Formats: sequence, C-alpha cells, structure tokens
Amino acid sequence: MDKKIAPQLEELTRALGDIEKSGIRAEFDKLLAFRVPPEVAKESILRKFGGTRKVLKVKDLSTSLKNFGITGRILDIGEKAIHPQEGAQEGPSRLYTGVLADETGSVMFSSWKELPGSTGDVINIRNAYTRLWQNRIRLSIGKQSLVSIVPDSPLPQLSELSKSPAKKLIDIGAVDFSVGTTACVLQLSHREVLIRGKQSKVISGVLADETARLPFSAWVELPGIDIGSTIRIEGAQVRMFRGMPSINILSSTKVSSVGPEEAEKLAFTFESAAKDPVPLKIEEIDSRDNMFDIVAAGNVVSVRPGSGIISRCPECSRVIQKSNCRAHGKVEGVRDMRIKAVLDDGTGAMSVMFPRELAETIYGKSLEEAEQLMFSDISKDAVYEDLRRILTGRYLAVRGNASKGEYGVSFVAESAWVPEDDLAVRVVELLHRLGKDEEETDLEVSGGEIRLA
Amino acid sequence: MLKREIAKRIFAKEFEACRELEKSARSSSEIVDSKSPNLLISPLGLILNRVFAVGVLTELDSIGTQNEMWKARIVDPTGAFTVYAGQYQPDASIFFSTVQVPAFIALTGKARIYEPEPGSVFISIRAEEANVVDEEIRNRWVVDTAEQTVDRLEAFSDALASGYHGETLREYLLERGISEELAEGISIALERDRAPQEFARQLSAYIREGLKALNFESEGPAGAKADQKEFVLELLKEIGGGRGVDYATFVDSAVSRGVPEEFVEEVVRSLLAGGQCYEPKIGIIRLVG
Repeated sequence: MDKKIAPQLEELTRALGDIEKSGIRAEFDKLLAFRVPPEVAKESILRKFGGTRKVLKVKDLSTSLKNFGITGRILDIGEKAIHPQEGAQEGPSRLYTGVLADETGSVMFSSWKELPGSTGDVINIRNAYTRLWQNRIRLSIGKQSLVSIVPDSPLPQLSELSKSPAKKLIDIGAVDFSVGTTACVLQLSHREVLIRGKQSKVISGVLADETARLPFSAWVELPGIDIGSTIRIEGAQVRMFRGMPSINILSSTKVSSVGPEEAEKLAFTFESAAKDPVPLKIEEIDSRDNMFDIVAAGNVVSVRPGSGIISRCPECSRVIQKSNCRAHGKVEGVRDMRIKAVLDDGTGAMSVMFPRELAETIYGKSLEEAEQLMFSDISKDAVYEDLRRILTGRYLAVRGNASKGEYGVSFVAESAWVPEDDLAVRVVELLHRLGKDEEETDLEVSGGEIRLA
Repeated sequence: MLKREIAKRIFAKEFEACRELEKSARSSSEIVDSKSPNLLISPLGLILNRVFAVGVLTELDSIGTQNEMWKARIVDPTGAFTVYAGQYQPDASIFFSTVQVPAFIALTGKARIYEPEPGSVFISIRAEEANVVDEEIRNRWVVDTAEQTVDRLEAFSDALASGYHGETLREYLLERGISEELAEGISIALERDRAPQEFARQLSAYIREGLKALNFESEGPAGAKADQKEFVLELLKEIGGGRGVDYATFVDSAVSRGVPEEFVEEVVRSLLAGGQCYEPKIGIIRLVG
C-alpha cells in the first residue's frame, strides 16, 4: 500500500507544500479509507486545495473567482464573533475581516480561520475565492484555503500601501473602497434630500477623464467647482450602486482645482472628455465588471422571453405574474412594455434591456398599438412573436450602462439608434488592407462561382 | 456559470473548412466537462460554436419522413452555409415553413460536424433563430465579417512569418495585442498539417471579390451615375414587384425613360453578382426580398 501512495504523496507535497502540517495528509488518508484509488484521491485533493497555480494581483480580482493564489500585505485586520442561527449544529465561530493590499490595489477580505499574520505582515493565500458582498468584491479565505506568512517580501511598505491610490476612472471598480483621481466635471446638479428627517444638500454629477466616465456625489459644498472644472480628488469613497461604482466625496475627501498649467499636461480636456463616447467592442465590455455611459453596437441575435407587454405592481414597480406581486400580493397591474434582447457583435454577447420609450422606438409600435395586437390575436404571445419577427437580426447601437453578473454582461439602454456609419468607406479601407497580397490572386478565383448558386 | 456562446462572424468558405477542436487541445480552458460546448476550429484559428450568418436563402427543402426537418442553403459572397432545423429547433422550423425563397435572411445557430467516414466531413449549422432581413443588414454583415476575417488573416500571416510555435507563438501573439482566444486558436491551427497559406490566399481573394460586388448607392464614381442606378433599381421594383419581369421588356421601358441600354445591362449584371436579384427562369429577372 505505502509503495502505491508514495508517489501521490510526493506530488501533493510538491504542489501544496507541507501536507502533514496543513491537514491535507489526513484528508488524503480519509479518502483512502473509503477505498478511493490513490490516483483519484490525489486528483480530488489537488482540485479541492488549489492545484491550479493561478496567481492573481488585486487589480485582477472580479466576482466569483475560485481557486487562485494571491499575495498581499495586511493593512488592517479585525475579528468578530458570529453567532449561528438558533438550531444550527455548530457553535459560534469567528470571522476575521480586514484589508489586503499589493502594489496594484487593495481589497477587503474575510477569513473563517485565524490568519498567521497581523497588520503589516505579508501573507500568501492559496485556494482563495471571491464573493460579492454588499455590492463589492470581497476576497474570501475559506476553511480549505492555505495561508502562510511571506517573511521577506518586496511588496511596498505599509505606509505606502495605505495611501489612497490615484486611479484612472476606468480602473475604479468594486475592489476599491477609497480612491483618488483627476478628472473634469461633465454634469453637475444640486438637490435637497431628506435624510433621517433632516434636509441635506447633495451634489451629484458625472466625472470624466480620457478613459471613462463615472457618476459622483458630494455631501459637502464644492466651492468654485462647476461644469467644466478639472479637479483632483484624494481619499474619496467608492460606493457601488446597482453594480456601478460611483465616487462619493465626503468631508474627509480633499478636492482641489487643477490649474491651467497643470491641466495642459493631462491626457484629456473638457472638450475631449465631453464628446460622445466611441463604440466599444463587446469583448472589451465583457472584460470589465461594469462600465458607465458607453456605446456598443451589434446584431440582435435573440429577443428574450419576457419581452413585450408586462404588468407591474403599482406600489413597487416589480413585474407581476397573474396579478400577483411578490411583495404586495394581489394587485391591479399597470401595463408597461420592455424588450430584453441579446446584442452580439461577433466579439462578445450581452443582454440589453430597453425600457418602454426605447422599446416603442425600436419596435415601431406604441404600447397602445401593441395592446391592440395582444387583444386581437388568439396567441397569448402575439406581441413577443411580433417583436421577434421585427427585431431578430437587426443592427442596433445602444448607449447606457453595463454591469456584469452571473450570466454575463447586462446592459441598460438609455438610447438606441441604427448606426449610419458609411459602409462604403469601410469597404475601401478593407480592399486596401487586402491589397497587400499579390494582385494576381484575383484572376484565379474570380470565376462565376461566387454568384448565386 | 455558463456563459452564452458568442455568435461568431465567419464567411461560408472559412466555415466549411472548420474541423473539430479536441477538448484536450485547449490547454488553458478550465472547463473540460460534459457541459462545455462542442467547438470547431477554422484553418485561420477561429474557435467557434455559435455563428451568426446573413445571406440569401436560395434553396429550402423539407426532408425527413417521420419528423419534420428543414434543410436550407444560405449564400454569402464566398460560398454557402448548409442549415438544418428540426423538431428540436421549433422557432427556426416555424420560420422555414413560412419563408419564401429567395430572401435575405439572418440566422443564429450552432455549428455541427458530421464525419461519416475518415476524409469526408460535413459542416452545417443547426439553426436556432432566423428572420428575414433587408439588404442593408446583409451588406453590413458582409463588411463586419470581412473586417473580423481580415483582422484574423493579418494575425495569422504575422504568426506564420514569425516562425514561432506553440507556447512561444502564443506569447508572441498576445504581445502583439491579439486576443487570448485567437492566439490560442492560431497556435492550434498551425499545428495541424494543412496548407494554411494557400487557404488564406484564396479566402482573401474571395473577400475582395465579395466586397467589390456589394451595392452601395454612394459607391459610384459620379453622383449622377449612382442616381441612375437607383432609378433602374426602383423601376425594377415597380415593374417587376415580387414576381419578376421579362428582361427585354424591362430594358425597353428603362430606355424609354432615358437610361442608356448598356447602363441598364451593367446595373442588372451587378445586381445579379451582388445577390440582389436572380433569374428564376431564363430571360426573367426577379428582385430578392
């Protein structure tokens, strides 16, 4: 027996470190006791404990990653006792939470076991995973994660890592909780809101640099700052709202105007940042967690069920089925129309939501006209079928916000149109690119074969 | 998490030359289980499962005895896609049972490969959704597909010229800004023993021809000529409608409205080449769509 398992143990040690100490050996023996063949037992342990050697930096983290390794310095750590719900088998356990940083950024973590290091130490985590917790990405250290201290790490010192990093807008996402940036103000509005019975002034608007746009809000006065100003922000909070980051300016945030001399050195001006966004490939949108105010174009390859006429609850606007609202029970529904379609440009696919006004435009029928169709036809899916007939295959451009969820990118359209870019110009350019080969190939194949069959 | 497969843009010529991608060939892919889709790989390294094609539906047959099964042929500037829709593709089957041949159609579907014996391979599309579209959408598809194919051709010839293989080639391509998937596809495609240069050369020639045959009003050398072309097309619509018109009658009526005979012939030739009209019977021309 020992002869059989020796090579497997050796391989496990090579891949996972000290397996005696970490309890992996015990796990392995348990599998053998259940008569799992050693080879298979090794495989399943490798899978469970992160045999894949994927090593990520903080900036690479996104939602729902599994089984990766990461090294970072602990910026902050605390613990709290978790009391299980009544009737649960296990006793109370502890949750350790804090902030881990490397040179690319910092991320909140939570751990179900005590970590070997404390504030300032660099730790290496294997078999870590990520979760979405309160709308932001959280690095999770589970019972099966392996954590060790890295004694001599070239990572920057604590003081440097704890500064709020200056970032381009496109790089700000759910991993950030405090950032700095330099951007110009595209939109600005003041409004009064009631917070805990108190009238408060809030400023909201849109910031832009050469990479992206992001919404911002300020709970403090911003004297001298208006649309067109270029500002430097330090120590702002990043809030996530419906999967979209927004920059929150608090009383502790430093906001200063960028002077004309310095502004000249920036890669953007108000004019360049205020231009309409250029269309992105869906591939690029898919590579990010969320993007604010962008443009994409592609073919409608599918109109999804649930498109067409829907009923909403008059209280909470939730979509209701058979006059029943999830929250309010039996209600008199309010009719609305929407379209959910898959837009695909050959590089990526995303689900696009068109609210009523846009749905009416791209469908070419108003809600009332669609209702008539619904009442005059025997099929209960008449409107959906009509939508599919009109929209499938069509080419559309959309502008709005994209966020990534469990099933890929979802996009909420704020405007939609049929792009009128000049195909003839693109053809000339393509012929030019193709022309780099020898011209005689033209003659060989230009028979009648490419005509209609 | 199962993500939706992207509908790849590919010309019929390249699609027909696709072969099955063995799952083990994808080294970086993490999901090698029964749920991962069957993938094909084109000679130029495009890895695909779902496709989106727009072309002219030229043939439609109801085949199969017990169950309804449709077989369709969709022509693009480089060749034809063979498309099937059966009882498990209800949406596409309903569509094919009502559509008139010919028409411009847009279609998404899954790539299928059938290899009854070594050396004979049939590649087809199992239709998911299909719809009638207009010529503008067809033209845009040709240009979009040409652009993505030319990008691929350029990356491919760059890869060939580099002389690298395997992992080195992949790193080289990634450095050149090629997407991870295409870099992987190209390095796999290059390991297969076919004649990639010859195929790339042929495909470029087809694309060039296809692009030249596209019909844009603005393409003419002079605006007046483009207007005249538009006029001839309108006239053909007016007289022929959906049923078609005798060619000689059509030329006569165009001439009587001040269009030179040679020009009418030229326009009709280019309409035929571009797939906008066809001859259902000799001497009769009919507009598509």
